Amino acid sequence: MRHKNRLKSISVYVPIEKVEASLSEIGFLLIGSSTIVANGKFWNKMLYVNKDETISVSEELGDAYPKDPIITICGSKHTISSITDGVKN
Amino acid sequence: MIDVSEKFLVNRKIDWHDDAKYGPSILPDPEFQKYSILWFRKSLRSTVVAQVPFIDDFHKRMYDRGENLHASSNLKFPRVSIPYFRIEYSINLWGGTYLFAFDALFNPEILMEKRRGKILGKDGSLIHILKFNPPDENILNISLPKGVMVFDVRNMIKVIDYTSNF
Repeated sequence: MRHKNRLKSISVYVPIEKVEASLSEIGFLLIGSSTIVANGKFWNKMLYVNKDETISVSEELGDAYPKDPIITICGSKHTISSITDGVKN
Repeated sequence: MIDVSEKFLVNRKIDWHDDAKYGPSILPDPEFQKYSILWFRKSLRSTVVAQVPFIDDFHKRMYDRGENLHASSNLKFPRVSIPYFRIEYSINLWGGTYLFAFDALFNPEILMEKRRGKILGKDGSLIHILKFNPPDENILNISLPKGVMVFDVRNMIKVIDYTSNF
């Protein structure tokens, strides 16, 4: 049975490498990336896909500190909880 | 986060802009690095000059080595500009309209090609070519659950850059 997708956006204080590792662990693949500008800030926006679930990860470019990648998940309840738990541990 | 059983209508508008809003001097270092074969600057917001002669294929212009591309004293008027998409999402919710907008920069592609011309000679010479490719549309999408409809409106806007005539 296919699960209903939900939307969740979170900001995490962990390095982008840890986020990427957590996503690939649960089967998400990087489809592409682009440089976007929102509210006067430059961001690197990466898109990950696994079947009908998508996750975008945005990290501010430049000298911003601390780095807090923003993860936006359009996926099942299970995916959302695996990612939120994965980036905490 | 909105989590209700009602459906929402989301409008998306994409405009293609080329109006000198983004010049090389204001790009953060990781983005500037993509152009480092062609351009040189000491730091963010300092003057950018051409390291090698190149042709901007998108704007059909040639730049010579050492040519000033974006002066630190004139940040609002770069001589080389990066085209971009302006993406606007709007949602009407309980009588109010909420907007979310962002710009997506075109990606550079740098090649070596043999080109002919007045300066390059009849037989042609190898020269660096700078191309700009639009970002992949998938990346610009905001993923939404299945029950949400997205209405897509597209516009192509080309603003003539008069700064190159000064």
